[in-house]
Amino acid sequence: MSACTVGLLVGMAIFAGVHRAVMPQAWIETANPRTVHIAGEFIESNLGSAVEADGSVTVRALGQQFSFTPQCVVVPSDTPVTIRATSADVVHGFLITGTNINTMLVPGYISILPVKFKTPGEHTMPCQEFCGLGHEGMWAKVKVIDKAAFATLAAKQRRLTCVE
Amino acid sequence: MLNSKRLVLAHFWLAFVVFGLALLLGEWQMFARSPLNPGLGNSDWYYRSVTAHGSAMGYVFPTLIAMGFGYAITELALKKPLIGRRWAWTGLAMVAVGAVVALIPVSLGLASVLYTFYPPMVGNPFYYIGVVLVVVGSWIWVALMSINMIVWKRENPDKPVPLAMFANVAGAYLWGWTAVGAAIEVLLLILPVALGFKDTIDAGLSRVFFSWTLHAIVYFWLMPTYIAYYTIFPRAIGGRLYSDAMGRIAFILFVVVSMPIGVHHLFADPQVGGGFKFIQSVFTAMVSLPTLVTIFTICASAEIASRLRGGRGPFGWVKALPWGNPMMLATTFSLLMLGFGGVGGLINMSYQLNTSIHNTQWITGHFHLIFAGAIVIMYFAIAYDLWPHLTGRILKTGRMMKAQLWLWFVGMIVTTFPWHYVGILGMPRRMAFYDYANPEIAKQAFSVSMSVVGGALLVVSAVLFFTILIRGHRAERADPGEYRFAQAVHEPVRLPAALNGFALWLTLMIGLTVVNYGYPIAQLLALGSSTSVPAVYVGAPQ
Amino acid sequence: MKTEERLFSWRNSWFSLSLGGTAGLVVLSLIAGFLVLPYATPNSKLGSLWDAICSAAGVPRATAPSEQVAPTFKTSAVVMTSQMPGPTDTRSVGRGATLAMQCAICHASGRHSQPDTPNLEGQPAAAVYKQLRDFKAGARVNAVMTPFAINLTEQDMIDLSAYYAYLPRQPGLHPDAGVPAPAIVIRGAAMRNIPACSSCHGGGEVKAGAPWLEGQSAIYIKAQLQAFAGEHRRNDISEQMRNIARRMTAQEIDEAAAYYASRP
Repeated sequence: MSACTVGLLVGMAIFAGVHRAVMPQAWIETANPRTVHIAGEFIESNLGSAVEADGSVTVRALGQQFSFTPQCVVVPSDTPVTIRATSADVVHGFLITGTNINTMLVPGYISILPVKFKTPGEHTMPCQEFCGLGHEGMWAKVKVIDKAAFATLAAKQRRLTCVE
Repeated sequence: MLNSKRLVLAHFWLAFVVFGLALLLGEWQMFARSPLNPGLGNSDWYYRSVTAHGSAMGYVFPTLIAMGFGYAITELALKKPLIGRRWAWTGLAMVAVGAVVALIPVSLGLASVLYTFYPPMVGNPFYYIGVVLVVVGSWIWVALMSINMIVWKRENPDKPVPLAMFANVAGAYLWGWTAVGAAIEVLLLILPVALGFKDTIDAGLSRVFFSWTLHAIVYFWLMPTYIAYYTIFPRAIGGRLYSDAMGRIAFILFVVVSMPIGVHHLFADPQVGGGFKFIQSVFTAMVSLPTLVTIFTICASAEIASRLRGGRGPFGWVKALPWGNPMMLATTFSLLMLGFGGVGGLINMSYQLNTSIHNTQWITGHFHLIFAGAIVIMYFAIAYDLWPHLTGRILKTGRMMKAQLWLWFVGMIVTTFPWHYVGILGMPRRMAFYDYANPEIAKQAFSVSMSVVGGALLVVSAVLFFTILIRGHRAERADPGEYRFAQAVHEPVRLPAALNGFALWLTLMIGLTVVNYGYPIAQLLALGSSTSVPAVYVGAPQ
Repeated sequence: MKTEERLFSWRNSWFSLSLGGTAGLVVLSLIAGFLVLPYATPNSKLGSLWDAICSAAGVPRATAPSEQVAPTFKTSAVVMTSQMPGPTDTRSVGRGATLAMQCAICHASGRHSQPDTPNLEGQPAAAVYKQLRDFKAGARVNAVMTPFAINLTEQDMIDLSAYYAYLPRQPGLHPDAGVPAPAIVIRGAAMRNIPACSSCHGGGEVKAGAPWLEGQSAIYIKAQLQAFAGEHRRNDISEQMRNIARRMTAQEIDEAAAYYASRP
């Protein structure tokens, strides 16, 4: 009986995996937290949402004591989105409430997450890992907007955020 | 025959004093971050408190219980004096000194890194040195348990090792090996940085080493509880253990598969490959086996006791159980909480489900239900069971004991169920306070307040617990008679070597560790300095 | 128990079954985890089977080149760690003292400093060093400071910061211990992503590169917060101060500035 239970559990894990639910990060990339702000894809002007040639969107974000940059992430609904994020100092957590987007930012490594937001709406994005005395103040936002509205914005600007 | 009464009592009392203090900190934390707190909240004091609470409850309290209970089992089960009593006192002294050395910098705010360390944040070196002392002190116990069993086996070549001792040594080996991960992390990665010899650290590698310890440590906490299920509970309710061999197999499975599964704590980490996450997920599923075996065996043992008392019918026997018996009550509550917590655990072990609750308050609820609930309630029961033999006085506070156990159970449910719920709503853990004025957070205000109420019940329960123990020291003297562990329906006469020793199982344990951790560690080591990041020192001079 | 039974032998069923079972489980998980699941992962961009195995094992991949948007203004290029700007000695402090004579016009000690300039005595070396580097590079611009900073060498900046770090902190301009700490200073405003000031600027924790604020002039603090909020000052690494300042209300800026100025 017990063996069956274990078999069932493992089977469920494989089933969920093969059916393209959320999967662990497919490969590993590294980044140097000392210099992420000086060169490479995580420089200030390159952060935010970018439209790729294939129509998908890449969101680049940086976690640091005690905020995410950009502080407000804007993404289109119903579009494949790849989140690429790293930390500039300590370990941070990357959680978008009301979704199952939830990962860790470990300095030295890049977290890569393929996601999709079904419907427009607003979410909070707290840091979910203890990162120092200001951890409780590390709340960002995510705005999911209609695909067409996003396209209009993207025509004007190459990196989008909803920072006011 | 208990020769080392003072030794065992010293372990239990130190453990429970640490537990009492840490419990008060825990309840204060619940209050401080709840909407009931009228003050502004101070994150500095909150994180000091969380670090102290976690270090005391995670490293000091259960270790001392396992050590004290282990020494008692050695003498009671092997029926001979403990070998190496002086070393045992040395171990206790190291744990006590280590706890003080660790908690001084924590209370001064110099090491608010939480008990899970979180490099590249690095605190005062004395915090880590204290933790190392605690672990090394407990390793003395590991060695003593091993020596005592081996010597006994040599003296009694024709007898099977009593189940209580077998399980006790399983717990010792499990801890000895599982503590190695955190020990490597602290000694080789963190301390050189804390002491100023280095200023960079590989955070990803540190997390992998810590995960080695992080999951199996829970099974180490669990060992005294399972030993009580198998070797005390059936006797206490007037029955017999359904199967001695099942018990041995359960403990063996813990030794083999509870260690190489810690990467499931790193499901969301970017530095470990998906393949290794999957393998460890499979072995995490395996670790539910010994618990399923145990639940079956213990329920069967309860049925045997009930039928012996005249219980009838397919379910009617449940009524005939001795519900007034504290051990009956404690074990029932413990299994209930283990059941609830276990279901939650199945969600955590699945990569896909885990993403919806990873690092939310759900996790805090989960491990409190398992550790502070299912495990600690049996620590209480163990103390109640052993106290007359330790003090030579009767422990005659039956009603108070029942009230204490009920309060702990209800308190734990009221604390942890709302905690799970706000986790599903996405409330992140380890935050000093929340802005309940915000409409999104306001939805969680009621649940968080409920947890504070549950915590208050736990504090009341702990007060009763201490009252019972202290009264036990003042009650009239009485001979408690010889201490007995539960007898199995079929007491083993001959056992295959595999069920009477650990050589094969330790080989498998180490082999599986190498398979499951070898490559991820080697890979990160090979990356070397390119992923070492600057340390962020906390508790800087003000 | 004394038995003639040999445990480590394939004839012993405990040995063969447990070892075989464990090995079998490992092999099955390896096949599933390294060969099947990698292909089930979206966007995994796998070339060969070997690629799949390497990805699943965690061999790092080089980041694929991507088009980048360059900044339209000068950002700070200082590498800021807890070790910056490195070890100093008394000679460095001495040289710094000489250099600092030209700074004293504006950054005179304590009470004599001008209200629109910061007090530098007792500031962490990293804080002074970073600002000097940014002024020199043009990441931070000020009509008075920039001409001074442009002529400083790397060693000058290290010496100056060592000198100011060496000096004891001076009492503030208008100390008044009676002013209670406002919520924004000790608690921040979590949902607006404003951590407590004290979590970086002393009182709770000191973040590498963050200056002390106690005893600074209210005018200076307020001006800097407004500059960060209005994107007039952008040398904070990856917007770490702009993220905070832009979400503060005018009243909170006033309160924080007044509180820090009142500190002894």
